Amino acid sequence: MVEFRDVSVTYSSGVDALNKVNLKINDGDFAFVVGPSGAGKSTLIKLILKEIDASTGTVLVNGFNLRKLRRKKVPALRRTIGVVFQDFRLIPTMTVYENIAFVLRVIDAPAKYIRSRVPYVISLVGLSKKAKSYPTELSGGEQQRVALARALVNDPQLIIADEPTGNIDPELSYEIVELLKGINECGTTILMVTHEHDLVRYFGGRIININKGSIQFDEVIGGSNEN
Amino acid sequence: MKISSFNYLIRQGFKGIWKNKMMTFASFCILLVSLIMVGFAILVSINLDKVIGNIEEKSEVVVVVKDDVSKDSISDLQTKIEDIPNVSDLRLYSRDEALKDMMDKMTEAQRDYFLKYVEDNPLPDVFRLKIKDIQKMNDTTAQIGTFEGVESVQSPTEFADILISFRRIFFIVAIAIVLALVLVSLIIISNTTRASVFARRKEINIMKYVGATNSFIRIPFFIEGMVVGLLASGCALLITKFAYEGVYNILTSDYKLFGVFGLNNIYSFDSMLLPVTVSYLVAGAFIGAIGTSISTGKHLKV
Ligand SMILES: Nc1ncnc2c1ncn2[C@@H]1O[C@H](COP(=O)(O)OP(=O)(O)O)[C@@H](O)[C@H]1O
Ligand SMILES: [Mg+2]
Repeated sequence: MVEFRDVSVTYSSGVDALNKVNLKINDGDFAFVVGPSGAGKSTLIKLILKEIDASTGTVLVNGFNLRKLRRKKVPALRRTIGVVFQDFRLIPTMTVYENIAFVLRVIDAPAKYIRSRVPYVISLVGLSKKAKSYPTELSGGEQQRVALARALVNDPQLIIADEPTGNIDPELSYEIVELLKGINECGTTILMVTHEHDLVRYFGGRIININKGSIQFDEVIGGSNEN
Repeated sequence: MKISSFNYLIRQGFKGIWKNKMMTFASFCILLVSLIMVGFAILVSINLDKVIGNIEEKSEVVVVVKDDVSKDSISDLQTKIEDIPNVSDLRLYSRDEALKDMMDKMTEAQRDYFLKYVEDNPLPDVFRLKIKDIQKMNDTTAQIGTFEGVESVQSPTEFADILISFRRIFFIVAIAIVLALVLVSLIIISNTTRASVFARRKEINIMKYVGATNSFIRIPFFIEGMVVGLLASGCALLITKFAYEGVYNILTSDYKLFGVFGLNNIYSFDSMLLPVTVSYLVAGAFIGAIGTSISTGKHLKV
């Protein structure tokens, strides 16, 4: 669950990135966050991850009150969240398998669990045959699927994706969103930032539109794929 | 922490060393030089203390009493000298005793010749004494020189004096050099770690997002620093051992020269092996770890 109460962010440069934002995303929701470049979408995501703190207001994520959360507890928060970035952020010197297993290793998961869990999530994103490949040997769409598997491997309550389709071919974008939808059906909350309106129109669902740091509208629309 | 994670962290530490060969080698070299200097300073100080102590133990001050002093005045003088805190083992060596000893050492012919030409005992009464703290020897002998009835005070070789001032200067210079080298080591090691952190910035970035704890992120860098530190200590130890034993063999060889100055009385390397090894390893690991933590602290803000 994610809740913003009167949240404002002013960067040290003086830019007001968010203005009294109120927002609630319930467990199991799927929401698109849309808006032009510079609207404050990434700022929203940084707040959820506690990369930055709200200048005013309260942010609640998966039961953590981020204003009160001590530095030392930030890892505990982040273990409940999976993140996907526009630029994939895979480690080039590691295979697909290692890129994903690495995440479980750094949170001190048992070796046995890693050996069974990693192949499973790789199969979920349909890359079982490429487990031993390196990121440079994969297409953009495949790389993003690896990143998705990595976000998933820790079985997070919430997955946030900041323009995950921004660097891949438009027709492959649908694939990524389909995967996210599938993950959402298993109960994981999904928050996906995008400025591809076609994609949003096609899938429909809850749309949160941000402009100049304020929510313009927050509604559920029907998708064109449903008719 | 799981054993598998521990193995993983160790492997990451060694990978970092390999990835950063040049910087790691620079760290290793400067640390090696620093440790050798530290060791050199310690070994020289320890042995200087021993040599000085040795001279202190052996050397006697001789107080020559004037010819015309009466027996009573001599015993007065004896109490006065005895009362000086820095004096120990005071002993009167009377002229009669001295003459007897001298005669005993002569051959028959020498004795006959001596008795024929010397009527009176030509030798003075003397006191022999030891100095407790040789650093205050000059003050003590000067004080004795002012006492009534004292003809002269003969202090032992001035070599001890020279050694003592040498020790003082050596100590200051050594501390300055060692501090400077340790500082340079810390700077270079922390730069090495910074390069290592930079090389792994993508991994670290992901680690932060998925909730790795700070300590988990830092441990491989610590291992890197410690391993370099321990390697440098090991090599420094070997180099020190060979150099020291070379010097030791020269000083303890048959040349009388070194024996005269008490320089043949230094410790053997083996008798200092344990403390030297322990201090090298501790210093190496410590400098490595501290140097590393300087930059992980700065560059791993999560
Ligand atoms: N670290 C930062 N320091 C200062 N200003 C920033 C920083 N990050 C973003 N901004 C500014 O805040 C505003 C919102 O940025 P962002 O949330 O990244 O927008 P979006 O992701 O919607 O494109 C922009 O005007 C941007 O220039
Ligand atoms: Mg953005």
